[in-house]
Amino acid sequence: MTQSKAKQKKFIVLIGLLVILTVITFIISLNLGVVRIAPLDVFKTLLGMGTARDQLVLVDFRLPRMILSLLIGAGLAVSGAILQGVTKNDLADPGILGINSGAGFMVILFIYFFQGSMNSVTTFGIFLMPLFALVGAVIAAFLIYLLAWKKGIDPVRLILVGIGVNSGFGAAIVIFQLKMNPQDFMQAAVWLSGDIWGANWKFVAILAPLILLLLPLALYKAHTLNIMNLGDQVATGLGIRVEKERRLLLLVAVALAGFSVAAGGGIAFLGLVAPHISKRLIGPKHQLFLPITAVLGSFLLLLADTIGKNLLAPTQIPVGIVVAIFSAPYFIILLMKAK
Amino acid sequence: MVSLSTENLQIGYGDKTIVENLNLQINKGEITTIIGANGCGKSTILKTLARVHSAKSGIIYLDGKMIHKVPTKEIARKMAVLPQSPEAPNCLTVYELISFGRSPHQSGFGRLTDNDRKVIDWALEVTGLTSFSAHPVDALSGGQRQRAWIAMALAQETDLLLLDEPTTYLDMAHQLEILQLLEKLNREQSRTIVMVIHDLNHASRFSHHMVALRNGTIVKEGTADEVMTPDVLKTVFQIDAEIVKDPRTKKPVCLCYDLIEKEQSLDKRRVMNF
Repeated sequence: MTQSKAKQKKFIVLIGLLVILTVITFIISLNLGVVRIAPLDVFKTLLGMGTARDQLVLVDFRLPRMILSLLIGAGLAVSGAILQGVTKNDLADPGILGINSGAGFMVILFIYFFQGSMNSVTTFGIFLMPLFALVGAVIAAFLIYLLAWKKGIDPVRLILVGIGVNSGFGAAIVIFQLKMNPQDFMQAAVWLSGDIWGANWKFVAILAPLILLLLPLALYKAHTLNIMNLGDQVATGLGIRVEKERRLLLLVAVALAGFSVAAGGGIAFLGLVAPHISKRLIGPKHQLFLPITAVLGSFLLLLADTIGKNLLAPTQIPVGIVVAIFSAPYFIILLMKAK
Repeated sequence: MVSLSTENLQIGYGDKTIVENLNLQINKGEITTIIGANGCGKSTILKTLARVHSAKSGIIYLDGKMIHKVPTKEIARKMAVLPQSPEAPNCLTVYELISFGRSPHQSGFGRLTDNDRKVIDWALEVTGLTSFSAHPVDALSGGQRQRAWIAMALAQETDLLLLDEPTTYLDMAHQLEILQLLEKLNREQSRTIVMVIHDLNHASRFSHHMVALRNGTIVKEGTADEVMTPDVLKTVFQIDAEIVKDPRTKKPVCLCYDLIEKEQSLDKRRVMNF
């Protein structure tokens, strides 16, 4: 009992620490960018007393982008956490299972076929591409589930099929990319590596309720995830309807990843790395593990976006690439430690 | 007390039928062991009884009701299941593992009540794990780990316990320790126990009722004295066994045995050599 209380305390400390780190990053990120705005001016602008230029940069460009990265970060991280729990495989994440590449494939199709004829400045145009991404994510998930189904879903089979679907979509993406004109190719490449390109308030208005609705749903299933971690047989013995719960949880994970990818492009690694770190921090109990994962995901993506935005300014590095650059060494260190 | 029986059960994987026309009656308050060679369908039967695997045809009755019509959570309050060598996630503590046994009695969130804690403490005590409650399951020894899993099943507070090879991978002393724990639970709390077990002498010593299987059908069932005979063992395992009485427990034990087929082929080789 004392031990679980200690864990509870550690949880509160960790959440507090992560929130503080996120807030600090948020403030720094508000100041930094191609246009630097002093902290006092930021404050003034947020209160509606800034110059028109500051107003434009901060409120119309910077703020929605930052809020978007917080939402996407949490969405991808929790999606990865659920997928890892459901498949009982620490390597599962939306990227590896082909959900990202399914979305990517549809986006490539969109750019390839419609880009020239579509005026992307219209509201319709702005939302069409993420819609395509979402459809792609759902198609990929459906395909994986269908192909992995054999009188129920075997977690290992699910992963293997996911990897297969992933490479299939990956190959299809390359085929279409090679036929593109240079400008479309650039746009496709940036999208695929993950970039919070759709930074405007309309996106925030759509994504925020969706993500903020799905996260509590995931948390509500924390106890079920704990038990499913014991394996299908034990979970069944404990009265869990494993197949039904797995389907529901996969749906939540795919929805989270789909919405996130639709707004943020193919950000890889975050769904893998955030649950990993948070499991090391707090352990496998999902009631504690999921919230930490969500906040950590938000923090990491905001940090990555801030770095990507400023490191080579005025050139922006897509956020997905920054995440990958920092995640790869983390995993190598982890592997070396694990022997 | 809860009863368990099957009627014309047919089980298989894909097109392959493994068990045919199984009519099994598990007696209340007794320890029943299922014995048989590898691949004879012991574990498959146990998994089907545990509703982990679904039967091709036939009916399983739990407490007089057809099992596939009862909500799985309700079943979990009557019957606990322990699969062969289960695995706990890293860093999960013994206490947390055992607390999962309470989930059939809980609503969605898994919040523990005072009664839940009492049951968990009791399960820790009865399995001798009280001082290990804060230890991670993966840091325990094999015997302790198996006891932790049994404690989880006990925390389910079910009349029926199904165990698939609960003593595998344990040394002689720890095997006995687990079986004596089960015997004690059966005697003191009249829990009905069904288990698959490989060690015939253990099966004989600890069970009231033994079921011997060959190719998915029951060859012989009854008390240890009825089942542990050279004839039955010959049919079930193709062995030539020497059965004697255990001087301490007065139960039949298999003192030594030879393979029937192999012996013949050896004889042939001898003939050829000379």
